[in-house]
Amino acid sequence: MKEIKFPVSDYMPDSCIPEGPIAEKWTKYKREAKLINPNNRRKYTVLIVGTGLAGGSAAATLAELGYNVKCFCYQDSPRRAHSIAAQGGVNAAHNYQNDGDSVYRLFYDTVKGGDFRAREANVYRLAEVSCNIINQCVAQGVPFGREYGGLLDNRSFGGSQLKRTFYSRGQTGQQLLLGCYQAMEKEIGKGHIEMFPRTEMMDLVVVDGHAKGIVVRDMVTGEIKSYAGDTVLLATGGYGRVFFLSTNAMGCNVGAACACWKKGAYFANPCFTQIHPTCIPVKGDYQSKLTLMSESLRNDGRIWVPKSREVAAKIRRGEMKPSEVAENDRDYYLERKYPSFGNLAPRDISSRAAKEACDDERGVANTGRGVFLDFKDAIDRMGKEWIDGQYGNLFEMYEEITDVDPHEQPMMIYPASHYTMGGLWVDYNLMSSIPGLHVLGEANFSDHGANRLGASALMQGLSDGYFVIPATLPTYLTTQKPGTITTAAPEFIEAEEAVKARIQKIMDVKGTKTPDEIHRELGKLVWEDVGMGRTKESLMDAIEKIPAIREDFWANVKVVGSTEGMNQELEKAWRVAAFLDFAEVLCYDALNREESCGAHFRLEHQLADGEAKRDDANFAYVACWEYKGTGELPVLHKEPLTFDTVHLAIRSYK
Amino acid sequence: MGRKDVIALMNDIITTACKFVTSSIGRKILVALTGACLLLFLVGHLAGNMTIYGGDVAAGGTSWIDYYATGLHSMPGWLLWSIRLGLLAVGLVHIVLALVLKYENYNARTHYQKEGTLKATLSSRTMVVTGIMILCFMVFHIWTFAVCGDPHNCYQVIVTAFQQPWCSIVYLVALCCLFMHVRHGVQSVLQTLGLSTRKVRPLYNIVGILFGLAVCGCLASIPVCVMLGILK
Amino acid sequence: MANLNLTLKVWRQENAQAQGRIETYKAKNIPDEASFLEMLDIVNEELVHEGKEPIHFDHDCREGICGMCSLTINGVPHGGKKVTTCQLHMRQFKDGDTIWIEPFRAAAFPLLRDLVVDRTALDKIIAAGGFVDVRTGAAPNANNMPVRKKTADAAFDAAACIGCGACVASCKNSAAMLFTSAKAAHLNLLPQGQPEKNKRVLAMVRQMDALGFGNCTNLYECEAACPKGISVDNIAKLNRDYMIACAAEAVGVYS
Repeated sequence: MKEIKFPVSDYMPDSCIPEGPIAEKWTKYKREAKLINPNNRRKYTVLIVGTGLAGGSAAATLAELGYNVKCFCYQDSPRRAHSIAAQGGVNAAHNYQNDGDSVYRLFYDTVKGGDFRAREANVYRLAEVSCNIINQCVAQGVPFGREYGGLLDNRSFGGSQLKRTFYSRGQTGQQLLLGCYQAMEKEIGKGHIEMFPRTEMMDLVVVDGHAKGIVVRDMVTGEIKSYAGDTVLLATGGYGRVFFLSTNAMGCNVGAACACWKKGAYFANPCFTQIHPTCIPVKGDYQSKLTLMSESLRNDGRIWVPKSREVAAKIRRGEMKPSEVAENDRDYYLERKYPSFGNLAPRDISSRAAKEACDDERGVANTGRGVFLDFKDAIDRMGKEWIDGQYGNLFEMYEEITDVDPHEQPMMIYPASHYTMGGLWVDYNLMSSIPGLHVLGEANFSDHGANRLGASALMQGLSDGYFVIPATLPTYLTTQKPGTITTAAPEFIEAEEAVKARIQKIMDVKGTKTPDEIHRELGKLVWEDVGMGRTKESLMDAIEKIPAIREDFWANVKVVGSTEGMNQELEKAWRVAAFLDFAEVLCYDALNREESCGAHFRLEHQLADGEAKRDDANFAYVACWEYKGTGELPVLHKEPLTFDTVHLAIRSYK
Repeated sequence: MGRKDVIALMNDIITTACKFVTSSIGRKILVALTGACLLLFLVGHLAGNMTIYGGDVAAGGTSWIDYYATGLHSMPGWLLWSIRLGLLAVGLVHIVLALVLKYENYNARTHYQKEGTLKATLSSRTMVVTGIMILCFMVFHIWTFAVCGDPHNCYQVIVTAFQQPWCSIVYLVALCCLFMHVRHGVQSVLQTLGLSTRKVRPLYNIVGILFGLAVCGCLASIPVCVMLGILK
Repeated sequence: MANLNLTLKVWRQENAQAQGRIETYKAKNIPDEASFLEMLDIVNEELVHEGKEPIHFDHDCREGICGMCSLTINGVPHGGKKVTTCQLHMRQFKDGDTIWIEPFRAAAFPLLRDLVVDRTALDKIIAAGGFVDVRTGAAPNANNMPVRKKTADAAFDAAACIGCGACVASCKNSAAMLFTSAKAAHLNLLPQGQPEKNKRVLAMVRQMDALGFGNCTNLYECEAACPKGISVDNIAKLNRDYMIACAAEAVGVYS
């Protein structure tokens, strides 16, 4: 097999982690951080791309502080960003349950859950501000679940042994996003934020090495415009749709992040992609997306497959109902393998266990790629009403989609691409390797390591936006004279021309394949080769085939319509082109990381019992990839990870 | 409280009142309140009309309805005209505001090629139509009975009028419109005034239907009884 | 599992200024397990292969929560099955059916292209007062203010609105009362929303009126079309709150 030797650079930007004991770093940072006088803040223009929890909360908070904020999103309203789809909850170390929670424990669980591939200082800060997030949301009127005494209720979530998750029935994401959307609208109403919906970021403009603007496409008129600012905040989410089928929204894409990568921002740990264990299985080729069923269902649902292949085959053919399978013939594999965490084992472990069961031909669903999530015991124990109170809307949603009532028959679930821990590299200030470009939320890499725990994404997005970036932004801005760069700078004109040329190039192909067809092809390949279990062979296969798909795109894509006015096919094609440019670095990173950790599972590297085998001696680092041209090998920069507080240990959930 | 304060307060109240009557909810509330007044009037009017079943002078008894009619007319002029003008004002506010709302609603909407309806009742969708029909009928009604009629011979005027089938049919059609209008109106008034919840709304709906049936049924009984020869 | 053959009557319009029209398309071999939007994906893919422009429609999360998908199906927003269009599945239709697909229509929702309309008017209602004016960082401890569970649940029921605009599109008067009232009720019910209650109610209603929405005539069509089961109780509450707020404004009581 061909060997790939990645060019490695010794250079690594400073991660700017404050000195001192971990518990004091953030306090020390805030104490010593630069400040900007309120009268001067309005002189600074902050461009924010994306209006999910990270972008939205940053926009609202920075506008409150007095900055001049311009905010962009591709949806028709900032309220629709995909954070809205998070169901389960948001973690915080309030310890309202008196079950032993603390900032340290939330920090520890997150580092351990991330399989020791996250930056300690960032994670500790995240845990530290977690309580403020809940306080803030409650003050905004987010209707969290409450107990009869009127105080906040909590539930437990995967990867944790205590109840620290705050929730709003099955739509916590929507309620949190509405909270920050309303805060944003408040500032829009006051004229502190200028909002640009239906506007897609096409490129980043770098002037003298600093990010000073963006080029956008107005999705209604088709016009290419640019905006200049003193700093750019990227909060554009993850790249999960590289797999085509995922739980992400249809519009989620890597375009903006990829554009920044091409302009010099390092992409960190792209191979850490989370596969969520509880999604509704694939039905057919026409399928456009996968629907997640909240992980919170695992609190009360029991996961199983039939013990024998024969029974599984019967169920697949519809000859037998799952409820008819005798207790003895069921394999509650998570409870069997991980007695102490059981059905609440972390996401990567649960996903892989489902895949193993299906690979063993004991899977259900017509495709054989599915396992059961059974509520019979919980209903018998707690009653139907109680279950409906907890999960009513999820049960309804499941029934709408599958036409099966989960009260009667168990749900069928299967893992699907859900979240990407990797992202653009940022330092402690959330600034990327391009000065002035800050990256927030899922779009950055910093807090979740190799695996994200449930209910931590909402926490991170809001932490970055509400509390971190408002404190760290002045560190950069005070080095800059406000308003010096305008869109008249040649860099802007150049970037606009380049975007127009690329659009024209796409339009001029006039081939035979729709952007979706090519995207599906790419997705299938990446899911098969770089999905839940990765091997050197599979990765090499993907690395070989991706350029061919990319060539196919540029030779055969068919985009009808014109560049003027609304053109949804052009939007899709633009995004697919970005995924095609990006997909290889995902494979390169997976190939380079010769270990298994968290969501990154290399079949070559496993312990005797099938658990991930980490290689801390050689891979306790953040792999940062510098773009060197499409089709060229990216350069690897390494940020070593040191664990001064948490001791590196084998992650065990047994 | 000085004179200036009073002026300032009046100013505030007038400003808010102007904002109120130009706002969607404000006008709806006024339509609802005037509608409620008209419903009350309807009940009173019905009670008066029911005296017709008290019989006729010719049949040996005293005609109750004639007593009622002459009684109304013997009220002091200022009182009678206050009530009349008051009712007219209430009716005008109800009609004008409802038409303004309708006009705005028409402008707010762009129409579907294929219309579909899930829940809205026919009567709720035709309030303006039934309302206008009732208005036309009122003109006719006031003309035939109040202007041309003789209050001292009310019973005979009514019976003679309803003995003509076209007249009875006009009345019955108008009462159907009234039923539809009232059937939606009752619960709509309660909803607009904020007195409705998911629990009581179905009850209001039933009350609206029963109220409409009772009022319109009783009123309709007069032409029906005349045509059947029960009232002569 | 069965496959369906359908006739689609779809509203096509190049842009806001162009003249729109209904066009007829055949949807062939549609799996009944597909969602409504996946059916449109299949039709669009064929259109593109024929060199025609695909039908433009709004959609994003495709799991019934973002509120981006719209479509009035056979005269009813979201098809009237108590779910969003993206959660409507083709098993609800029969082989041979004719389906009319039109945009969410209302004068306050200008059409952008085909089935895509501009719903920013709803954002403007929120910007007028649909928030609690609390600065980040100024919040007290979350458990300092207990909220009765029933109140919290009622606030949640109102807050479950996804802002899709089906209430406006289904209303025979194109009123935005269900949306506005749900948004106001969510905050007006909670103790956190009390200080600004009157101000909020007046601002939101006045903004709603100014944006050219119609007036509610209690048809309850909105409640029937709402994919999230938002109750018209909220409208009754807004009427009530509006009366109180007006009275308070007139006499200068702001509490």
